[in-house]
Amino acid sequence: MPAMNLDLTTVSIIYATALAILLAGYFTAISCKDLIRLLIALELMFGGVFMALIPLFSVAALASPAFAAAIITIFTSGGELLILIAAIVIQDRRKKNIFVSGIKAGGERL
Amino acid sequence: MSVEMLLLLALAGAAALSTLGVLLSRDNFYSAVFMSLTLVSVATIYAFFSLLPVFVLIVFVFVGAIGIVTVALAATYRTTAAPEFQFSLLWAVPVVATAAILGYSIYSYATAVPAVTAVSIHSISFSVENFVTSEYTLLFLFLTSLVVLLLLSVLNIYKEEG
Repeated sequence: MPAMNLDLTTVSIIYATALAILLAGYFTAISCKDLIRLLIALELMFGGVFMALIPLFSVAALASPAFAAAIITIFTSGGELLILIAAIVIQDRRKKNIFVSGIKAGGERL
Repeated sequence: MSVEMLLLLALAGAAALSTLGVLLSRDNFYSAVFMSLTLVSVATIYAFFSLLPVFVLIVFVFVGAIGIVTVALAATYRTTAAPEFQFSLLWAVPVVATAAILGYSIYSYATAVPAVTAVSIHSISFSVENFVTSEYTLLFLFLTSLVVLLLLSVLNIYKEEG
């Protein structure tokens, strides 16, 4: 099947889906009770970023930067996974649970 | 409506529905599985546009490594506590107002400038050969060294905690 052309309708569908994924990620992050769900929420947000990159590939001058952005996103997600795994292990050792309510430093309640 | 458009709508719908599954599921394990499903749907949309290098990156690196580690962690620390919203629903009012203003301005711009719709149809033609240049190779090396540095720092923190 030949590659589909990107018209305004297609781009709108892609951006609407990207926004939906990103918003669901935000909602999951602010409603999470444990660090695992926070990790899931962050990865979901990266999924939204991936989705939003698709239209950039249709502009010839932006195709390579878009691929570079996709690679940077994957590296960033890998780094985030490393940090959160360390945080989960340390939190589990100290508090014997992984609930975010156990984290006392920082944070703000709206 | 063409078959391609229907297929795109089906894939986008699958991604959005599995995203809702992440948000509404109480079990971390099922949330992680729904998250992997969302990412595979996003990768399939890339394949739909013949962007196979990105499809391979997302499916084999992002979902295949990072996603599976998350699923394994979620299966280990399996909690079924209901999500708790930490904000007032009144925040929905400015959010909806901003979205309405943005949507109206984009719609009025597209209708006022018909040339936008006329010239904005593009086909995607990306090849990895154009990407392999010295500056992007440098970027890749830089990112790899950053991740190695991060890994060493995490190991150091872990050792100090132990």
